[in-house]
Amino acid sequence: MSFDIIQTALFALLTIGVIGGAAGVVLINRITAAALLMAFTFLCMAGMFVLLGAETIAAFQVLIYVGAITVLILYGVMFTPQRERPYALFFQKQTPLAALVVVPIAIAVALLAFTFRDGGKAAAGGGDLPALATSVFRDFAFPFEVASVLLLAAMVGAIVLVRRDDE
Amino acid sequence: MAPFGMDPAAWTVLRLLIAILGAIFLVFNGALAQIYFERKIQAIIQDRVGPIHTGPWGLLQTFADAIKLLGKEDIRARLTDRWFFLAAPAIVFSPMLASFAVLPFGPGIVGADLNIGLLYLTTLGSMTVLGIVIAGWASNNKYSLIGGLRSAGQLISYEVPQILSLVTVVLVVGSLSLTHIVDAQPGLKINLLILPLAFVTYFIAGLAETNRNPFDLPEAESELVAGFLTEYSGMRWGLFFVAEYGEVTVVSAIVTALWFGGWHGPFTDVHPVLGPLLGVLWFTAKTYFFVLVFMWIRATLPRLRIDQLMSLCWKLLIPVTLTNLLVTAALILAFPQSHIPIAVANWAMLALVIAAVPALQRRRLAALRHRLETRRPAAFISAERPG
Repeated sequence: MSFDIIQTALFALLTIGVIGGAAGVVLINRITAAALLMAFTFLCMAGMFVLLGAETIAAFQVLIYVGAITVLILYGVMFTPQRERPYALFFQKQTPLAALVVVPIAIAVALLAFTFRDGGKAAAGGGDLPALATSVFRDFAFPFEVASVLLLAAMVGAIVLVRRDDE
Repeated sequence: MAPFGMDPAAWTVLRLLIAILGAIFLVFNGALAQIYFERKIQAIIQDRVGPIHTGPWGLLQTFADAIKLLGKEDIRARLTDRWFFLAAPAIVFSPMLASFAVLPFGPGIVGADLNIGLLYLTTLGSMTVLGIVIAGWASNNKYSLIGGLRSAGQLISYEVPQILSLVTVVLVVGSLSLTHIVDAQPGLKINLLILPLAFVTYFIAGLAETNRNPFDLPEAESELVAGFLTEYSGMRWGLFFVAEYGEVTVVSAIVTALWFGGWHGPFTDVHPVLGPLLGVLWFTAKTYFFVLVFMWIRATLPRLRIDQLMSLCWKLLIPVTLTNLLVTAALILAFPQSHIPIAVANWAMLALVIAAVPALQRRRLAALRHRLETRRPAAFISAERPG
């Protein structure tokens, strides 16, 4: 028994979790269960980030996707009137179109995955934090700020759209 | 590193098991002790005696209650959402348990000295929301759903001032690691003297994050039966409660580590083995002091209304914490060597906030009264005279 075996076993478990969870999100008919499975998939992906030594990214992944986005989706589901859906989403008519979009992307991702070799590993215990901070706040500070201003504009726009006129 | 010539990989697994069992032991016994303290302190404040019959000074009462809870039938209403209903207590409980991994109990006594310990703790805190929303949704009960949704709104709102308060400490110390933060405040040089305003805002936000009084709206029994807990009984209900007490402990431990010097205290450097153990004792004592403050607040303050809760967060706490963060960051850039300007600014802002709150409150009430007297909103009129 060695660390390599443990890491490989953990990676295998997390992979099963990610792929199984993602398949569940697409295949399961109940939308709340799909949201919860999505949170599970994000958690498994955070585990993969930890295995790669990127604890900070894993923490942000859980903080934003599990703690905020999933709750937001659950909110959306709860406040949306649900009609009965007698058939599974999987057998809807979008399947050919979806396949048309997914296949090229899958090929591109597979090519990338099999040609990428140089995976630098950060120091364990959150060693990726300085690198992440440097890239976000120094190297890519301008795109980061532009993105945040864009989000702010979107938020203000949404508030203006939903605001009632009678107040 | 492995003792007794063990295989290092086997020792890793074994150490993980020991740590998890130790954390579960701490959490469950801590919850039992806290329920006892809670009953006794509320009894003292309300001029009663509290539990006295079971064991000396009623000490065994909570054990008896725990055994009763364990022995209860596991009831699940037929129209609840089976898997969500079963999963919700676990989703609330496990992040709380995982938080114990990074708490610095003593010098060198910490589960995992993560470089990003504080970020890890806030991350786990945000996962609790998911469990509570699911509990409210799965119960298939209006009160539960309202409780769950209130909780989501409350926790997401109060996460903002909470994280902003933590970030000011991180700025002053220059590290996210809890052990570094504790190391940075030896002796009487605790962070409370530098950042009192951040402590006050964090403590208020922490009260809200743990659903404690006066912010326990998700389970407000006078309006919502028991909120998201309505359909739960037996040990599933107990698990929610253990999780709540565990979160109170975690928030108190964060306060202790960030503002009150963690395990630092008199006589921690007298002996290489006894010193760290004494550090654990100091850490526990400080943590439980704040746990007792939580209970004192519960026995003293009435519950807020949901709109008051939200306006407190968005109109007072978030502006104050944002200003505090901005001022602290500017002062760190201006005076990188000394913490004294930050301390002066922070104490001044704290005094300003405390002095301004009554005036603001009076102005708000006067405006409200004026509006009610001159122009009654349409909603009130239609509620009085339907049709």
